[in-house]
Amino acid sequence: MVGLALMTLFVAMALLAPVFANRSELQAAAGRNNPNLHAPNGKFWLGTDEIGRNVFALVMWGARVSLYIGLLATVVAVVIGSVLGLIAGYARGWVSRVMLAIDDFFLVLPFIPLAIVLALLLGRSPTIMALVIGGTFWAGGSRLIRAQVLSLRERGYVERATALGASSRHIIMRHVLPGVAPLIIANASLIVPGAILAESTLAFLGLGDRFSPSWGKVLEGAQASGALTLNAWWYYLPPGLCIIGIVLAFTLVGNALERIFDPRLGDR
Amino acid sequence: MTTRLVLKKLIDAVVLLAMVLVFNFFLFRVVDHDPLAKYRGHSKLSQAQRTAIIKRFGLDGSKWEQFVRFVDRTLHGDFGRSFNSTRPVVSEILDRLPNTLLLVGISTVLTIAIGIRIGIRAGWQRGGRFDRISTPFSMALYGTPEFFLGMLFLAFLGAKLGWFPTGGVTNPAAHYTGFSAIVDRARHLVLPVATLTLGYLGSYSLVMRTSMLDTLREDYLTTARAKGLRDRDVMRRHAVPNALLPSVSLIAIGFGFIIGGAITTETVFSYPGLGLATYQAIGNTDLPMMQALFMFSSVAVIVFNIFADVVLTFLDPRIRVGA
Amino acid sequence: MSDPLLVVRDLHVTYRSSRGPVPAVRGVSLHLDRGETLGLAGESGSGKSSMAMALLRLVPVGTTITGSVTLAGEDVLAMKPGRLRAVRWAEAAVVFQGAQHVLNPVHRIRRQIQEAIDTHRGNGKVADLLEQVGIPRWRSDAYPHELSGGQKQRVMIAMALACDPELLIADEPTTALDVMVQAQVLQLLADLQRDRGLAMIFITHDLSVLSTVADRLAVMYAGRLVETGPAKEMLRGARHPYTKALAAAFPTIGDQSSRLAPSGLAGDPPDPMAVPSGCPFHPRCPIATEECAATMVELHEISPGWEAACLKL
Ligand SMILES: Nc1ncnc2c1ncn2[C@@H]1O[C@H](COP(=O)(O)OP(=O)(O)OP(=O)(O)O)[C@@H](O)[C@H]1O
Ligand SMILES: [Mg+2]
Repeated sequence: MVGLALMTLFVAMALLAPVFANRSELQAAAGRNNPNLHAPNGKFWLGTDEIGRNVFALVMWGARVSLYIGLLATVVAVVIGSVLGLIAGYARGWVSRVMLAIDDFFLVLPFIPLAIVLALLLGRSPTIMALVIGGTFWAGGSRLIRAQVLSLRERGYVERATALGASSRHIIMRHVLPGVAPLIIANASLIVPGAILAESTLAFLGLGDRFSPSWGKVLEGAQASGALTLNAWWYYLPPGLCIIGIVLAFTLVGNALERIFDPRLGDR
Repeated sequence: MTTRLVLKKLIDAVVLLAMVLVFNFFLFRVVDHDPLAKYRGHSKLSQAQRTAIIKRFGLDGSKWEQFVRFVDRTLHGDFGRSFNSTRPVVSEILDRLPNTLLLVGISTVLTIAIGIRIGIRAGWQRGGRFDRISTPFSMALYGTPEFFLGMLFLAFLGAKLGWFPTGGVTNPAAHYTGFSAIVDRARHLVLPVATLTLGYLGSYSLVMRTSMLDTLREDYLTTARAKGLRDRDVMRRHAVPNALLPSVSLIAIGFGFIIGGAITTETVFSYPGLGLATYQAIGNTDLPMMQALFMFSSVAVIVFNIFADVVLTFLDPRIRVGA
Repeated sequence: MSDPLLVVRDLHVTYRSSRGPVPAVRGVSLHLDRGETLGLAGESGSGKSSMAMALLRLVPVGTTITGSVTLAGEDVLAMKPGRLRAVRWAEAAVVFQGAQHVLNPVHRIRRQIQEAIDTHRGNGKVADLLEQVGIPRWRSDAYPHELSGGQKQRVMIAMALACDPELLIADEPTTALDVMVQAQVLQLLADLQRDRGLAMIFITHDLSVLSTVADRLAVMYAGRLVETGPAKEMLRGARHPYTKALAAAFPTIGDQSSRLAPSGLAGDPPDPMAVPSGCPFHPRCPIATEECAATMVELHEISPGWEAACLKL
């Protein structure tokens, strides 16, 4: 419940960003006439950053970028994870073994260094970041889905359908997919927070897009500008707390979904 | 039986490492058509200089030749020279390795030890007072990016209260010797270690709690209770060992995330280890450095995972006989 | 030796669940003499295990147990935790339903049996116990997964005997086993019971297996007893329509296919959260009349030592 409320709040923030703050306020030039690193007041609700930009505007627009990347990355990860998981679970023999090896490989590769390398090589726009994160984040989900497909197989639906002469595609679409869909949804809502955290980490390390700053990017600015030693709390607290809030929101909702789809977990 | 299993794990590891090697090669050469484009000031280079640099970084010849040379060099520990400092990448890494080992080593041990304890206790008394306090706390820690935690520590415990130094590994102004040098170093470690430890504590305790809850449903726990064991013994002898097993591999996978956390933590505290080197390599688009760092962290994570796998083989009798 | 080993009075067991309280046992009274075997039968979900586990308070946290359980003169429900632990296994031991999961997979069986002995400072020997149940001594180093289902059940029985209990609660000890093994385990239990003078509560959904072991029978439906009496007579001619249906459902020992859907019984056993009014069996009863839906019946004597809860008797 708390999770849902928080989630609504952040989505509203992302949608309403343009109402409260003009996009141009994100430009470096926007703060030229404003005081730098100024404490919050009536005009700048959350103060200004080291080049005089309105932190409130940065945080509002940050919700957009963070959510966009988090959701898109999740879609990418879920699609890759589901397809590979379905194939790995459905296929037999060497196909299944190769898929499993690839899965293993991506599961153990240290995620942040890998994403850093990819982002470094491919570029830094939000969409590319989302692809990079999604493209490295699917292994756990694919593992889950494979396991579920295997257990569905054991229950014999698939064998029966095969015996009746159904095509593989038909079997996957009609029998397997419905069985794994709840799992995919619950899994997705748990990937979102991970993707948002990953994005903030990459942005913090300087891999974010300067022109559409996410919360992680704002934190990078705070760190680099010395806001920490200058005690400019209005600069680094709001984006940090937003990240915590959004991660908790999605995690809580994800846990709740998981519980709905798998009543066995009900008493967790 | 056991030796054969361990052997099999080792072969798996070698396959994974080989995959890392190949992946690494392609990642850096195939994705990038003009590797020199990322070399600072490349536009001003003459053709001769270009050829020289290309040769120096091993970028000449056919892809296959490059690959063979790449593997050969990597196996000999030759990762080329840093674009930035032009020193051999290996020396850069070796210089900073001890600092990172210290930070990551201490934090990993602490976060696993404390996280597991919290998870066990919270799971055992689900809904009890400890659980009601520790689980939201773990969730909050899980949701907090470790670098934000580090920034808070730096701002409050470091800058504002002045309890701990805000960066580096030693105080360059003072020339401590002997015991005071050790104390100085330890003081510089406190905040980074606290950051990295707390940053991953939440996920470890949550994983352990879930595993504990799963175990509590098991029939053999009822058996243990029926035998008249004390609660404490039921937990220690029957619940904990069984709950630990499934978390071992999750813990091992989590190590990859701690490595990622070390990058940001070192960045926040300007702690001169491999993490800070990664951050600097990003800033300078220092590809040879980045490649070596990526290779290095992958190998570390794989080795750690293999180690966990082997440990699991010894802990779980069901795996030992290959069930 | 005159007063019974176990007296249960008006036992209620109510689980807590996310959907609300689940009254699994709704007022059961019974008694058991030393050395006597009571067969407890009923469909899946009728509350047999719940009843049996409540005797030693082996229920999940949040479950309420009311009524009284007197074991060897002591009130189990009033015991302090320390006393309860001492009574568990030393006075009453359990052979659990589902042998596959009741042994801890990470410990050797020797250790698990030894643990029971040590907890109660007994002086049984693991190897002797195993031999008694027909498992060679050298197998004591095995892990549970290295044993067959029947062997695991034997280990469980050996473990239950480790502290020389007076009462053995055997909860469907043969259900998960195949027919041959079932008969062996059954025989083993019957022999042990006779040799050691054990009192036993033998739980099953399959009336036919009780003929070898039980002195008396109690039949449970929807958390209550519907019929109780001498085993031989009851097996020859049950009186309560539910017992009749149950007996008809299991013509031979260990017919697994009929476990969940006994052929003589149409319909499903009631959900403990929505038990029908009056006689809970009336919706499925072949001889039910309107009266049955309205009147709740208690157990009453229908002939000496034989009771049933049915308006028609
Ligand atoms: N922990 C629990 N929480 C809620 N309900 C429970 C719990 N355990 C059992 N029940 C419910 O109580 C009822 C009686 O269960 P019980 O296990 O005692 O039946 P049983 O007669 O032993 O059946 P079976 O032959 O399947 O072992 C069932 O409806 C079951 O769903
Ligand atoms: Mg039962």
